[in-house]
Amino acid sequence: MTNIELALWSFPILLVLVFLRAPIALAMIGVGVTGTYLVVDTTMMTLNQLKTLTFGTFSNYSFSIIPLFLLMGQFATLSGMSSSLFRAAESFFGHRKGGVAMSTIGACAGFGAICGSSLATAATMGQVALPEMRRYGYPDSLSTGTLAAGGTLGILIPPSVILVIYAIVAEQNIAKLFVAALIPGILAALGYMLAISIWMRVNPHSASINPRVPWRERFVILSKVWPVVAIFVAVVGGIYGGIFTPTEAAAVGAAGTFFIALASGTMTWKRLIQAILSTAASTAMIFFIILGAGIYNNFLSLTQLPFVATAWVGGQEFSPWLVLAIVLLMYLLFGCVMDSLSMVLLTVPIIFPIMAGLDFGMSNDDFGLWFGILVLIVVEVGLITPPVGLNLFIINSMAGATTPITTTYKGALPFVMTDIVRVMILTSFPAITLWLVWVTDA
Amino acid sequence: MTLAAKSLGGRLSRPPSCHLRQLYHQVEHAIAALAKGMAIAGGSVLLVLTALTCISIFGRAFVPFNIGIGPIRGIYDITEIGTAAAVFAFLPWAQYQEAHARVDLFQNLIPDKAEHVLDLLFHIAMSLVATVGTWRLYLGMLDKRSHGETTLIAEIPVWQGFAIGLIGASGFVIVAVFCVLRALRRLVGADA
Repeated sequence: MTNIELALWSFPILLVLVFLRAPIALAMIGVGVTGTYLVVDTTMMTLNQLKTLTFGTFSNYSFSIIPLFLLMGQFATLSGMSSSLFRAAESFFGHRKGGVAMSTIGACAGFGAICGSSLATAATMGQVALPEMRRYGYPDSLSTGTLAAGGTLGILIPPSVILVIYAIVAEQNIAKLFVAALIPGILAALGYMLAISIWMRVNPHSASINPRVPWRERFVILSKVWPVVAIFVAVVGGIYGGIFTPTEAAAVGAAGTFFIALASGTMTWKRLIQAILSTAASTAMIFFIILGAGIYNNFLSLTQLPFVATAWVGGQEFSPWLVLAIVLLMYLLFGCVMDSLSMVLLTVPIIFPIMAGLDFGMSNDDFGLWFGILVLIVVEVGLITPPVGLNLFIINSMAGATTPITTTYKGALPFVMTDIVRVMILTSFPAITLWLVWVTDA
Repeated sequence: MTLAAKSLGGRLSRPPSCHLRQLYHQVEHAIAALAKGMAIAGGSVLLVLTALTCISIFGRAFVPFNIGIGPIRGIYDITEIGTAAAVFAFLPWAQYQEAHARVDLFQNLIPDKAEHVLDLLFHIAMSLVATVGTWRLYLGMLDKRSHGETTLIAEIPVWQGFAIGLIGASGFVIVAVFCVLRALRRLVGADA
């Protein structure tokens, strides 16, 4: 068997292991180590590599941003900001048809600005918004669908853990990626609100509407969310302005949300420990995947597969746009069944050089940002599509036994459709994503 | 029943499997405490890193005034070693909680018994990976110590970072081995 054949065989083997419910990181380590052994024909290389690889991966300065962002998200859930954000959004949207659901989306977008994780956003906003939507007589399908979709704004709106991982793997500038994610993130929120508005017109029902809140009062309520704005500006602005390294910004964000949580009086020892344990589990999971993907990708590099694949695709005279469409579709389909983080870590080292070798009529830097945002959106769609949409599961379990999971699937569908339309628009018009980077960079 | 009579009577009347079960639960209790304790220790390291980083940024703001206040020297080195120590310390907890990402797509198609067998195999593989990884980390530490390598700015001996990492890694091995036992008990239907 040639090395390339070996590399090609490793994909189906990895997939079979993963579908048999092996922990993804473990499967990557197993296949990577075995593959490396088959290529170099000695165990010494892998064993020697392991002497420093683990510590080297865990102590990589770029990765140290991840636990700090996770900690920031955990403190944000304790900060009480979720209900202030909801009140503020409600004062703006509450008087419209579907206003409470729209407010939920608005509040999720605000929460996404201080939380880089989708599940945490869905779960935290769910606690505030689910009872409200029920109180106003919203059907369970729409309320759970809204929250599951709103949760994805946690990663679509910077800061975002997935974007950090992409930046590291594809060697892109984190600050510019965060700026590039901003307009697509806002478009996502607007698209979700549009979906709610259309839903309300198609299925009229008895959901009640709030009276209109006067503008003066709206700003009074809005002013209560200033800590969210302050932290977002400090974190994203601080990185972009070159005041902080990304890791420092995450530390500032974690400290900021910690003090808000402390001031709000909701922070107890028990909750602090819960926040730490939750951060611990996610951090270890992510770093273990990073380690596994590193070992697996080292094996692929040894076989020269990424190099051969890039040269082959480059030599085929495919239409770059067709290749892009296929890659995005592949992410979309795999995203429905795979963990998004593992998918990015596993595929970007191979896919990115291939894609960067094609001519989309833009500079390499612009391409790296634009492609990153597109990948971010398509892998995120997997969180709200059956069969393995984690956001759907978490919101559905919060809604209780009276709401079957199929109801939540149905409720998420309109939002998935807006996601797909958005991907098509952003693919066709790269300038929407890149414009803000160009303007702020000049 | 008096306490003495209870313990005596209990001891005599219980079948031996009962003692084993009790022993298992005691072990599980200890393992849980170990994993949790390490995770909290790692979390405390993260909190300290957060605070140090903020202090360092604050200090850096005073650099232009030239009054002798500046950033913490080697804060990046400290962050690197601290993060590694924390991540290693988090591994036992993630393993105990079975928090590692997996794909549940075909869960309903796999028969229960087969799933338990697979689960056992994966746990054995995990404890193997944990053991080999920890063994190599130990050898890596010996290498670093004999070379006397230090971090760039803070000049912390790198082997000390490895040594702190070893604490968490050893916990990972212990918890991973325990998880094999737990998976075995699930397979044979104990506690069902």
